[in-house]
Amino acid sequence: MTLMQPVTSATEQPSDESWVADLTDPGPSGLAAQRTLHDLLLRAARLQVWRLRHQLPGAGSVDLEDLAQQAADDALMAVLSKLDTFEGRSRFTTWVYKFGILHAGVAVRRQAWRHREVPLFDSIHSPDPGSTPEAYAESSDLLRAVEAAITHDLTSHQRRVALALLVDHVPIDVLAERLSTSRNALYKTLHDARQRLRESLCASGHLDPAPHRSTP
Amino acid sequence: MTRPHSPITDNYLAGLLLDTSPYLSCDECFENMDIYVEKIIADPEHQDVPMQVHLAGCPACAEEADTLVELLTSEPA
Repeated sequence: MTLMQPVTSATEQPSDESWVADLTDPGPSGLAAQRTLHDLLLRAARLQVWRLRHQLPGAGSVDLEDLAQQAADDALMAVLSKLDTFEGRSRFTTWVYKFGILHAGVAVRRQAWRHREVPLFDSIHSPDPGSTPEAYAESSDLLRAVEAAITHDLTSHQRRVALALLVDHVPIDVLAERLSTSRNALYKTLHDARQRLRESLCASGHLDPAPHRSTP
Repeated sequence: MTRPHSPITDNYLAGLLLDTSPYLSCDECFENMDIYVEKIIADPEHQDVPMQVHLAGCPACAEEADTLVELLTSEPA
C-alpha cells in the first residue's frame, strides 16, 4: 500500500462507552475493536506524515506509508496502555487521533534528523558587527542586548537548548532524544530561558514588562 | 563544536523573547489538546490562555493541534 493524500470518511462509530468496553474485552469483539482503533490511528498518522512530508524530501510514497503504519502501531500500544485515563471530556475518536498524530510527528522528525548532526553551542556566535559600518548599523540595539543577555544571564544548559531550538531549529523531540531527556524538560528549560532573557531586557530598559495574563 | 550556529538575527528575537507564562508543559498540552481542539472548532473565539500561550511557544505541539483541527474539520458531520 502506498501513502496517498489522506481522505477522511465518515464511518459508523461505536459510542464512547462501547469503545472502552469493546477494547477491554478479551474476546473476538476486543480484537475487532483493536482493528478499528488501528484504522483510526492510521488515518491520523497518514495525515500527519502527509503534512510533514516536506521534511523528508528523499522519501517515496512507500517510505511515507511505512512511517505512518509504524506510527499507528506505536500509537495503538500507547492508547491501549492509557485507556483508563480517558475521561470522556472529548469524543473518544478525537482523543485517539491525538495519539496517532503525536507518534507520526515524532517519527517524521526523527527520520528527518537521523543522519544530521544536532548542533549544540555553549557560546554565542555573531558575525563581526564592526567589519563594516553598514553591518553594525543593521545589527539592532535590541539584538545586541539579547546577545549579551544570552551570554551573561543564561546558564550553559539554557543557552545550548535555546540556541538549538530557536536559532538552529532542531525539533524538540529530536533534541530530547539526543540529550537523553524529555520534551517536557526541554520546554521547561526554554520557558525559563525566555523568562530570564525578558527579565534582563526589562532591567536594561529594552523591553516593557508584560502585563499579567489573567486565566479563567 | 567549531562550526558556528546560525547567526542570530532580528528574525529570531520574537521567539527568544516570547512570554510563555502561564507555564504549561508539553504533557499538559497533550492531555488537553483533544478537548481544546473540539472547543476551538465549535467556537473559534474560545479562549484557553495556557493552551494558546503554549501553542505559540512550542512549534511541535502547535503542529499537532493544527493537524487535529484539519482531521476533525475534514470529517463530514
